[in-house]
Amino acid sequence: MAEHTKIIAVTRFDPERDDAPRSQEYEVPVQEDWKVLEALNYIKDHLDPTLSHRWSCRMAVCGSCGMNVNGEPKLTCREPLSNYGERVEVAPLANFPVVRDLVVELEGFLEKLGALKPWIMLAKQRAPEEGATRQSPAELADFKQFSMCINCMLCYAACPVVANEPDFLGPAALATAHRYNLDSRDEGAAQRAEIMRGEGGVFSCSYANECAEVCPKNVDPAGAIQQAKLANVLSWARSFVVRRRAAS
Amino acid sequence: MDSVLHYDIVIVGGGAAGLRAAIAVAEADPQLRVALVSKVYPMRSHTVSAEGGAAAVARADDSLEAHAYDTVKGSDFLGDQPVIQYFVERAPEELVRLEHWGCPWSRNDDGTVATRAFGGMTTKRTWFATDKVGFHILHTLFQTSLRYERIERLDEHFVTKLLVQDGRCGGVAALDIRSGETRAVLGRAVILATGGGGRAWPFTTNGAIKTGDGMALAYRAGLALKDMEFVQYHPTGLPGTGILITEAARGEGGHLKNAEGERFLITRDYGVGQKAELGPRDMISRAITQEIAAGRGVSLPGKTGEFAHLDLRHLGAAKIDSRLPFVRELARTYIGVDPVHEPIPVRPVLHYMMGGVDTDIDGATQIAGLYAAGETACVSLNGANRLGSNSLTECLVFGARSGAHSAAHVREADAPPEAALVESARAAEAELEALRGRQGGGETVAQLRDAMTRAMEEGTGVYREQAGMRRAAAQIAELGGRFAQLRLQDGSRVFNTEITAALELRNLLDVAAAVTVAAAERRESRGAHACSDYPERNDGEYLHHSLVRLGDSGPVFDKKPVELGIWEPEERKY
Amino acid sequence: MAPPRPPDRFPAGPRYRSYLLFGMGSALMLPLGFELLCALWALASGDAAWREFQAGLRHPLRIAGHAVAGVWLTWVALRFFRLFPKTQPFRLGPFRRPPDWLLVGGLYGVFAAASLALGLWLAGRIGGLG
Repeated sequence: MAEHTKIIAVTRFDPERDDAPRSQEYEVPVQEDWKVLEALNYIKDHLDPTLSHRWSCRMAVCGSCGMNVNGEPKLTCREPLSNYGERVEVAPLANFPVVRDLVVELEGFLEKLGALKPWIMLAKQRAPEEGATRQSPAELADFKQFSMCINCMLCYAACPVVANEPDFLGPAALATAHRYNLDSRDEGAAQRAEIMRGEGGVFSCSYANECAEVCPKNVDPAGAIQQAKLANVLSWARSFVVRRRAAS
Repeated sequence: MDSVLHYDIVIVGGGAAGLRAAIAVAEADPQLRVALVSKVYPMRSHTVSAEGGAAAVARADDSLEAHAYDTVKGSDFLGDQPVIQYFVERAPEELVRLEHWGCPWSRNDDGTVATRAFGGMTTKRTWFATDKVGFHILHTLFQTSLRYERIERLDEHFVTKLLVQDGRCGGVAALDIRSGETRAVLGRAVILATGGGGRAWPFTTNGAIKTGDGMALAYRAGLALKDMEFVQYHPTGLPGTGILITEAARGEGGHLKNAEGERFLITRDYGVGQKAELGPRDMISRAITQEIAAGRGVSLPGKTGEFAHLDLRHLGAAKIDSRLPFVRELARTYIGVDPVHEPIPVRPVLHYMMGGVDTDIDGATQIAGLYAAGETACVSLNGANRLGSNSLTECLVFGARSGAHSAAHVREADAPPEAALVESARAAEAELEALRGRQGGGETVAQLRDAMTRAMEEGTGVYREQAGMRRAAAQIAELGGRFAQLRLQDGSRVFNTEITAALELRNLLDVAAAVTVAAAERRESRGAHACSDYPERNDGEYLHHSLVRLGDSGPVFDKKPVELGIWEPEERKY
Repeated sequence: MAPPRPPDRFPAGPRYRSYLLFGMGSALMLPLGFELLCALWALASGDAAWREFQAGLRHPLRIAGHAVAGVWLTWVALRFFRLFPKTQPFRLGPFRRPPDWLLVGGLYGVFAAASLALGLWLAGRIGGLG
C-alpha cells in the first residue's frame, strides 16, 4: 500500500501542565486506506505515548472516537484520511469541557439522558410469562430510526443551541426520549412531557439542523425534535379542549 | 488511599452481562447498593459490536431439546450438559424481558418476533434486530438500568485488583482514569463481567477494550482459568482491520466462494454436510484456511494474505438493506466493496474466547463472594466451540443468575475486615504509582504488545501444532518478564491512557499465558482447538476441562471432568 | 478541565451561515410588523390618513426594504420546505407519511400557485388603479 506523510495537528491539553489547549504537529506516514483514527493510533504507538484519546470498536458503533476534524465533528474511525489535505487538524469535540487532549467530559450528557427517562414505562409492568408483546413492522418503523443513536456526541459538538444554552437537553437525548414516546409498547409519554417541553427541552431547539448534518448514523435528531414539538403542541391542545369540554 | 467507597455489590464491566446482573440485583432486592464499575462508559462496551442475533427457542416447530443438542454438538461434547439445559430453558424468558424493556427486535408481519438461521442451529431460533443486535441489546439494557437509583455507575474506572481476604472477596481497587486516584470500592460480592481478551491477537474482531481484564484479575487472585485453549476464529472478518461481517450474512443466504467462484463447502468435504455455509464456525474457519493453503484463495491488491469471497449478490439490494444494512455499511466503509454488486473478501479472524474464569452454574467461583458472567466466565456452556448467537443470550441468562445469586449471598455474608481490604487496595495504589511515568530502559507498551500478538498468532491460530504452542508459551512467559522493564513516558495523573494500556497489556499477558499453556497440554483436535499433529478427537484421554492457575513460579496446569448427562460423545458430523 | 469551545466553524461555516441568516432575518420582522400596525392605525383614522400612508409606501427606501423582505421571506420559505418533511410524524393514524419528494413538491406547488394568484391579483389591482 502506497505510503506518504501527512501533518496531523493534534490539540493537546494536560491540566497538570498546560493553562490552555495547544496544538502539536506530528508527521505521520499514512496509508491510503487509513481512517483518521489510525493516524492517531500511529502517533500513540510510535511517536508520542502521552497522547490521550478514546477509541474502541473501530467499526463506527461504540461511539467513543468522536472528534473535531478540520473543524467538523466526525467519527474518526470511519472518517477517511484521504478526505483531507496534507495537514489535518484533530481537536476534541466542541461544546464539551476538555478533560485532556482529545478526551471530553460526558457527565452532563449522561445526566440529561437519565433525566428524560429513556426506558419503557407502563402502568402495569409486563411479566415474562406473558410472552413477547406484539408489534407490527409498521409500529417498529415508527421509532426504529431514532433508536440508532450511538451516543457519539457529534450532534452536541455541532449544535449552536448547545453552545449558547448549556441546559439544553440536546439532540441525542431528546431523540432518544422521543424514540420511547413513539414505541407502541410504551405508556410513558406523559411522564416525559414536563421535562421535554420545559426549560431546555424541545422548544429550545431553533432547528439549525446541524445535528442531522453531522450524525454518522442517519438518526436525524433534528427531525425527532421537531416531531416532538408538534406532538407536544397537539397533546397540549388536546388537553385544553378536553378540559374545556369537561368544564362545560 | 484517596477514597473508600461502600456498596453491597460491585459489578466490574458494563456490557450485556454486567448490566443484566445489575438489573437482576436491583430486581431481587431494591435496597441493595450496586456499583457498576467500568473502564469505559457502559454504552461503549464491546457488546455493542455484536451483529447477528441472540438464540432462544421461539417457534412452534422448535424445541428446547433441539437447542440443547445443537449446543452440545457445537461444543464438541465439552460443554457441561446441565448448564446447557438450564441455559436453553431460561433463554426465551431473557429475550422476552429484553423485548419488554424496549429492544427493537425485528418482527414478522403478524407482529411476533422474527428469527433467522444461524450456524450450527438446526432451525431458525436466532432473534435479531436487523444486524445490530448487540448494539440494541446494550443500549436497551443501559437505558433500562438508568431507572434504578441504586445502580451507581463508576464510569471510566479501571479495576487493578480484587480485594480478597481469608478466601472472601470484599471489593476491588479501581483507578479513576479521569482523576488518577485509586479508590477502594468495597462490597460483599463482586461480579466480573469484563468480556474476553481478543486483543492478545493481532487480527481480531474485538475492540481495543477487550483485554481480558476480569480473567487476569481472577487469575492473579489465584483462581483457575478454564478451557482457555479454545478460542474462536470467526470465518468472516474484513481484510486489514478484522472488522466482523456477521454470520447472519450466511444465515440470510450468503455463499462462501473461493477464487474459482466455487462454493467449496458444498463441492468439497469439510464436515459440514448439507449445512454448508450454516455449519459451525470452527469448521468453516478451517475450510477457508485450507482453501487458502491449497492456493484457491482470493488475493487483494495492497493486502497481505489471501481471502475467501462472501457473496451476497443473489440476495438483492432490498433484502440486504432490510436484513443486513450494517454489513453493507461496513463493507463499503472499510473495504470499499458494495455487497449488492461485489462479493466481500473475508478471512477467519479471532473473535471469542470459550474459556474464562472457572465458575459453577450460579456464576460463583472458588472465592466466596466472587462471581463471573459472560465471556469473562467459563460456565462451560460453549465447550470447545461456541455456536453463533448463543453468547449474547449467555450474557443475559448467566448475568441474571449471578446477579440474583450475589444478592442472595450478601444477605448472609458479612464483609471481610475493612482495614485489611483498604490495606490491600493501598498496595495496588503503590504498585500503580511505581508504574506511572516509570523511566525503565526497556520497551514501550506498543512494542511489547506487538511481540505478544505476533507470538499468539503464530502459536494459536486456526491450526496449531505442538512445537508452535510450546514456543508461544515460552515467548509469552519471557514477555511477562520483559514487562517489568517497560518504559512509560506519561507522568500525568489525568486520563493517562499510557498507564491503562500498560495495565491492559499486563492482563493480556496473563490471559495469553493461560491460553498457550492450556493449548500445549491438549494433544488432540476438538472444536476450535485443531492440532495438525493430533488431528483426531481423543475422548479417552482428553474429555476433560483444562484449568490453569497461577502458581509461585508461573502457570500450573490441571484438569476437571466434563459433566455429561443426556448425550454421550459421538462423531461430530453435520 | 479546559472550558468548552464553541463549534469550530461558528459562525462562518457555510451551513451555520445559512442558519444565522435565517435567524437574523427576524430583525426584518420588527419594522415590517411596525409598518403593519401603522397601516391598521391609518385605516382606522380615515381616508386621508390611509392615502398618506399609501403615499409613504412609494418612497424608494421603503420599496427597497420591501424588496429585501420579499427575497428574505422567499428564502426562509425555501429553507423551510427543505426541512419540512422530517418535522412530520412517520404516521398519522393508519396513513404513512408520504415520501419526502411528494411533500416538498407539494409545498413548492402551493408556493408557486399562491405566488401566481397573488401576482395576477396584484396586477389586476394595479391595472385597475391605473
